[in-house]
Amino acid sequence: MRVAGRLLALVVLTLLATGTANSAEPVLSQSQIDKLLLHGPWPVQWDRDPSNRVSGNPNAIALGRDLFFSPKLSGNGKMSCATCHHPGRGWTDRLPQGLGTTKLDRNTQSLFNVRLNRWFGWDGQNDNLWAQSIRPLLDPKEMNASAGHVVKVVNGDPELAEAYENVFGAAPDTANLELTLVNLGKAMAAFQETIVSGRSPFDAFRDALAKGDEKAASAYPAAAKRGAALFFGRGNCTFCHTGPNFTNGEFQDAGVPYFLGPGRVDKGRYAGIGKLKASKLTLAGDYSDDPAKTGAWKVRGVRALHRNFGEFKVPSLRNLTQTAPYMHNGSLATLEDVVRHYSEIDVERLHADGTRVLAPLHLNDREVKDLVAFLESLSTG
Amino acid sequence: MLRLIALFSLLLSASAYAEELPIFDSHIHYSHDAVEFLPPEKIAEILKKSGVKKALVSSSDDRGTQLLVKHAPDIVVPALRPYRKRGETGSWMHDPTIIEYVEDLLKRHKYHAIGEFHAFDEDIETPVLQRIIQLAKEHDLLLHAHSDADAVDRIFKAYPEARVLWAHSGFVRPERVREMLRKYKNLWADLAFRSDHDDNGKVVPQWREAFEEFPDRFMVGTDTFAPERWLYVEDHARTSRAWLSDLPKDIAEKIAFRNAETMLRLQPSQ
Repeated sequence: MRVAGRLLALVVLTLLATGTANSAEPVLSQSQIDKLLLHGPWPVQWDRDPSNRVSGNPNAIALGRDLFFSPKLSGNGKMSCATCHHPGRGWTDRLPQGLGTTKLDRNTQSLFNVRLNRWFGWDGQNDNLWAQSIRPLLDPKEMNASAGHVVKVVNGDPELAEAYENVFGAAPDTANLELTLVNLGKAMAAFQETIVSGRSPFDAFRDALAKGDEKAASAYPAAAKRGAALFFGRGNCTFCHTGPNFTNGEFQDAGVPYFLGPGRVDKGRYAGIGKLKASKLTLAGDYSDDPAKTGAWKVRGVRALHRNFGEFKVPSLRNLTQTAPYMHNGSLATLEDVVRHYSEIDVERLHADGTRVLAPLHLNDREVKDLVAFLESLSTG
Repeated sequence: MLRLIALFSLLLSASAYAEELPIFDSHIHYSHDAVEFLPPEKIAEILKKSGVKKALVSSSDDRGTQLLVKHAPDIVVPALRPYRKRGETGSWMHDPTIIEYVEDLLKRHKYHAIGEFHAFDEDIETPVLQRIIQLAKEHDLLLHAHSDADAVDRIFKAYPEARVLWAHSGFVRPERVREMLRKYKNLWADLAFRSDHDDNGKVVPQWREAFEEFPDRFMVGTDTFAPERWLYVEDHARTSRAWLSDLPKDIAEKIAFRNAETMLRLQPSQ
């Protein structure tokens, strides 16, 4: 601990010295560096999902990949998971709101690092990736399939049926559609667990700071350093966007309107908790393969609070440059729009239940650009 | 078998009771941006559909309140919010022009309360707040205060006979709310935007003790602080009935609507 403290102190002094040489250079305080170091190392260690017995299984990953890219699973046979979660578009569709059988209400979330979620979807209506993988298949507004259709497609395709049997030890059970669908969801989850963003310029900077490597740290762009000082300092962005995946995994009212039209709102997390509580496909349920029911305490303990109405998931910030537009409804086109939104946030839309998390920063143009430069540095390029 | 039938009947009657329990929503706003998105006809429809029989309504500016008074006079109990727009919650106490705004409205319209206003600690000592308290005295109006305990103390120091509705019960623990209720007989406590008094429909012990000690002082409220939250009024009424059904019927009815009627000196509901 003492050694780490000395190294950090050295880094601070180094940055201070740089600041003396050039007044435009940033200075990260000890407290800012402490916070910054908590956002790595990256990538995080891979652990198999105990609720999914085929997590990490290469055959399941291969089957899941085939399912993910197969349009045959959808109701009209034309849409696959990859239609909205396109690998060439940051595993999203780059549309403000998704497009299923109709225009959807929310932005399509990227699948980068999806395995690290605690809750899944903007409203967190699932607590595991296999249940979340099934959800769009059955949603009439998305892939509009039925369990019967999906199982029939898999059963009728010799390659998929054989792969299924290889992974799960038996042919798809047409008499138990729910079980078969859950298994397919687990294979798709196994595939999505492999979607991990690479190391970013920020990661190199973070590791250099951790090692006290001044030379390596100096390679990080000055604007991004200034942006980091805002992110971990005055902006307090790290209050929600924390940890190696830059999210606390929870939900927040970010001051974004959530009307869907006249007399209609997106209830966000409030409705998500209702769906979660009604679901059989949770970590506490019989379909979890984990005898210890690891993580089931979350669904057992969570309950809808007044504040949850209109709250949405705090998204990861990794690979942001590939996942525009932003916010739950895709209402902000660019990272600069996002920064300006928070900089001038309408606090009157928010409720001060205890400490107010969000407050206007009134950033000047250069500070906006610096914060954008920092956010861009979280992407692999 | 008879026991089962009796239990079933009890559950049925509890459920019906929960459905029928009228709600007096003691903390609701219809501010300018809500007026823009939801016309007063729609608001009246929401309130009726939710079983909200009465509502203490205020708005920034006052136009929303007056619109609702016209469209739902049987439901709306108007309060005067000392804000011309919602962005004034943190600055109004330092703005002397607020006094003119409030005095002008008091001349033109009838109100039952001033608030909900935001004021903490020494804010109460500002000339603007002192004049607001004086106006409450002159017009015999309730003060609906989003305040800390210190500010509540200062209000009663300035006007010992004041009637004060403590918004969100100050976001303090139930033990502290009880201390304040013991201290001031004219203090009432709204539970708006608090979720700590129940756990999945069961009243938690600390709050149960508070409700039992002061059955005449608590009330519910939605707090439509953003326009979208008008679409939460129905959910709020339903969840309120759920946890209220875990209390003795007389206490539940008091918290649901009778206490607000008494506090505002309205004709009691049947």
